[in-house]
Amino acid sequence: MAGLERAKEDWYPIAIAGSTVDGEQLDTSLLGINITLHGDKDREISVTADGNNLPVQTRYDHVWTTFSENPRPLFDIPEADEAGRVLVPCGVVRVKCSPLRAVENFLDIAHFPFVHTDVLGAEPHTEVEPYDVKIDETIDEVIATKVKFFQPQAAKSAGDGIVTDYVYRVAAPMVSILYKTCPPKPGSQDVITLFVQPLDEETCNVWPWMALYDYENSMADMISFQQMIFVQDRSILENQLPRKLPLDPKMEIPTRADMTSIAYRRWLKRGGAIYGALTEAV
Amino acid sequence: MVTEPVGLSNNLPIKRVMPARVGDTDIAVWRSASGVVSAWLNRCPHRGMRLSHGFVRGESLACLYHGWQYGCDNKCKYIPAHPALEPPTTIQTMAYTVVEKHGVLWVSLDGTPEIPALFEKLQPVRSISFNCSNEDVLSALAETTLTCDDGQVLSASDMQSQNILILDNPQNKPKLAVLFQKSSAANVTAHLLADNSWSIDGLIRISRWCELVRRRAEIKIPDNRRNL
Amino acid sequence: MSFKLYNYVLSGNCYKVRLFAGVLGINYDSIAVDFHPGQEHKSDDLMQLNPAGTLPIMIADDLVLTETSAMLIWMASKFDSDNTWWPATDAAKTAAIVQWLGFSSDLTSTIGEARLHTMLNRDVKIEKALADGIVALRRIEAQLTEQGLRGGAWLVGESPTIADIACFPYVALAPDAGLEHDDYPAIRNWLYAIRSLSGFVTMPGIHEVHELRNEGD
Ligand SMILES: N[C@H](CCC(=O)N[C@@H](CS)C(=O)NCC(=O)O)C(=O)O
Ligand code: FES
Ligand SMILES: [Fe+2]
Repeated sequence: MAGLERAKEDWYPIAIAGSTVDGEQLDTSLLGINITLHGDKDREISVTADGNNLPVQTRYDHVWTTFSENPRPLFDIPEADEAGRVLVPCGVVRVKCSPLRAVENFLDIAHFPFVHTDVLGAEPHTEVEPYDVKIDETIDEVIATKVKFFQPQAAKSAGDGIVTDYVYRVAAPMVSILYKTCPPKPGSQDVITLFVQPLDEETCNVWPWMALYDYENSMADMISFQQMIFVQDRSILENQLPRKLPLDPKMEIPTRADMTSIAYRRWLKRGGAIYGALTEAV
Repeated sequence: MVTEPVGLSNNLPIKRVMPARVGDTDIAVWRSASGVVSAWLNRCPHRGMRLSHGFVRGESLACLYHGWQYGCDNKCKYIPAHPALEPPTTIQTMAYTVVEKHGVLWVSLDGTPEIPALFEKLQPVRSISFNCSNEDVLSALAETTLTCDDGQVLSASDMQSQNILILDNPQNKPKLAVLFQKSSAANVTAHLLADNSWSIDGLIRISRWCELVRRRAEIKIPDNRRNL
Repeated sequence: MSFKLYNYVLSGNCYKVRLFAGVLGINYDSIAVDFHPGQEHKSDDLMQLNPAGTLPIMIADDLVLTETSAMLIWMASKFDSDNTWWPATDAAKTAAIVQWLGFSSDLTSTIGEARLHTMLNRDVKIEKALADGIVALRRIEAQLTEQGLRGGAWLVGESPTIADIACFPYVALAPDAGLEHDDYPAIRNWLYAIRSLSGFVTMPGIHEVHELRNEGD
């Protein structure tokens, strides 16, 4: 299958750290392959595929695994270790779409007024100002900077509408990280990520995770806010046709507002990260 | 390619959009504020969102994802992310021929609609979908009867074609017409039209009769003939 | 504040209360519960309040209510001065409404369960939940079709009642579970009518009626 070997080199989230009880077995799927997570409170959690152990690590409040003996290193989020941040794993949401469509939607701001109405955007503030996008060759990431958007309620901690500044990073084909204006702590940025577990090419488990400066709201409030946003996206993602992400420029028509998405698609194609993608026009 | 009935006109009021299928093709059918009906491939040219989830503003259908608006000429009129931009005329939806006749919306994928001649004074009753084959529906229909307000008992008498079934057709004035829309081998939708002899209770009887037909068609066990 | 609600943003049952409060124009205190992934509704504190371990829980005056039907009747009786949403003195109508309130819990145990599986990976007998969900959608479709032939747009009588509020969430959210609305024209028209009510509030999976907004251009 196209892109499978490349996809096997990456790490993927499969559970929230500490969520399995001793002796519990959890069956799930990764890149179309059945895997089992074995909970064990004394030793490290283990993950098996067809009886064989897979590499496991716990990072960013999630359990990660890979099929590779020699995987690409897990990306770095330095903010995860900053004192004072609240770390919020938000729980899994399953979506019937390509894992790549889920990441691409996360990079998009133009949908805010229509999909996250009165929260992350509202008419008539629909304009997307030009911003910068580059593929950083040294760390092999897509990076978008100077992204701005008017938001009625940028975060659970936001009061009135503000113009929010964003920076986006695609740290792996199925991992997207954003940095946005943090309403209660000017000068700092909230970190919100989407860790995507590809169940197969057209279905994924999405594990949102946040590292926030928010001392006002309860954990339940912060999780609810993020689940609200992501499940609003879910109803879009399940209705995009085709379900895989088209990489042939003839298939879909972007504009200047879609520069991050254009760079992401180009970067995927160049790196052969085409698991979940359509490489030819249909 | 046959022209498919995809819905009853009264189920698509102005400023509304609905999903439909013709064979394997996923379609969005919508009616503008002034009443113009269009049928498009259910896929936004921008990022592939199903247009049937969109919303109508005046004479345009807007996509739910990023709000791109498309006019009745199928061309993109407005891109909210770039309010000052005049969208290139090359950005268009994929349009099909749609005709409204006999209170029914008909779609043709190849641009040559062939709409059967029907008695003019028929009114829409309801659409109903079956999770079985067209043959199953036809055999279930043949096994049931339906009583009119005047006591006349209708049965599947004059079958015009696989796609239209006319119940009671003495002088080409049917009391009930059943139009079939075949989505797949395992899914059929029937659109029902009745003449003006039916009372409201009679129309409700028709609606319940459809459900009886569906129960039989889906279990595929021929039952005894039974009057309703 | 009129009442306190233990609330979860993705719960269709909690949404019944949020929606009805919006339509009646009343404010309330909302306490977010970490239902997923935290299972906080099964915590000792909440189990003491509601031994059934479900959401929503409403604290209304001295009452602790754990059934949404009771909550809707309480809200209507207390805040709907026109008595249209729960016409308490009309025997036939209230009886018909209670039929649909009962039916609305079938929607929770079919479409609601299927949605927990399809969206939040909950272990559920999915084939049965989906098959029963289709049966439930067809029952609503049949009722709305008959009401339409009589000239009405609502489940009971000529105006919206708490029957419509109680059945709306899981019918509207059926696509979350993979049950699309394509085969149900009467349901589509009814969903649109409810979404157009003044005071309507959305929830994730049920979008804004953008056509009624002022245009941006
Ligand atoms: N008490 C019933 C049922 C409420 C109900 O089932 N709520 C769901 C959430 S929408 C729940 O709490 N389920 C518990 C669980 O699934 O763990 C009502 O109010 O109608
Ligand atoms: S996908 Fe339709 S406007 Fe973007
Ligand atoms: Fe979004």
